[in-house]
Amino acid sequence: MQKEIKHTFYFTQTPEEVWQYLTKPELMEQWLMPSDFQPVVGHHFRFTNPNNTFVVCEVLEVKPFTHLAYVWKNDWAVTKTPYTSNVSWTLTAIEGGTELLLVHSGFELFKDLVAHNSGWMFLCNKLGDLLKVPKK
Amino acid sequence: MSTQTLDAFQVIADPSRRQMLQMLSKQSRTINSLAENFDMSRPAVSKHVKVLYNAGFISIKDIGRERHCTLKQDGFNELQDFINYFDKFWATKLKKLETILNNKAK
Repeated sequence: MQKEIKHTFYFTQTPEEVWQYLTKPELMEQWLMPSDFQPVVGHHFRFTNPNNTFVVCEVLEVKPFTHLAYVWKNDWAVTKTPYTSNVSWTLTAIEGGTELLLVHSGFELFKDLVAHNSGWMFLCNKLGDLLKVPKK
Repeated sequence: MSTQTLDAFQVIADPSRRQMLQMLSKQSRTINSLAENFDMSRPAVSKHVKVLYNAGFISIKDIGRERHCTLKQDGFNELQDFINYFDKFWATKLKKLETILNNKAK
């Protein structure tokens, strides 16, 4: 099974310029998605998919102009198949521009999580009902 | 031995179990052959195997005196779908970035 996704792209711009497109929400939106990203480790942010669902993210690593990584998962509050993964960007200055490497990896799928949670909800509700003092 | 049922999170949280799943993703194995790769007692390995089984990650089949563990594909197929989807997703998005940057360079 394929475990990760890798794409390498080459640009004539400098790493500094390409970096802007990976870290400035107004520029990211032009090619990726709208978000409230900030290049700060630990910052929680979300990309908004065209269908108004969210990609839920947390910044893991920021090395200006060379490396950026964040957690990339779907919205566990609404999905039936929660997954998590990591997105990592590496920029390398090369002759005539920049090599940009994307690695999307560490996929983990928690298929039974929601079913499990709703199972607990059901039991807790039931317990709540049982604990209610019967009304006369 | 008491039967443990953990949720998928707890199942994957344990590094030994993750390693077992990884080994089983390559080929089916008997519990004994799994155990050879771990620095723990055979009962400890059996316990992990039971956890994986209870959570639906693997199936166990008795063949002769050996217990054969096989990965259950369902969850993994779904994961592969995610990966395929994102492979195309990023290829498309990065193409778009390329176009934007190329136009900017002109």
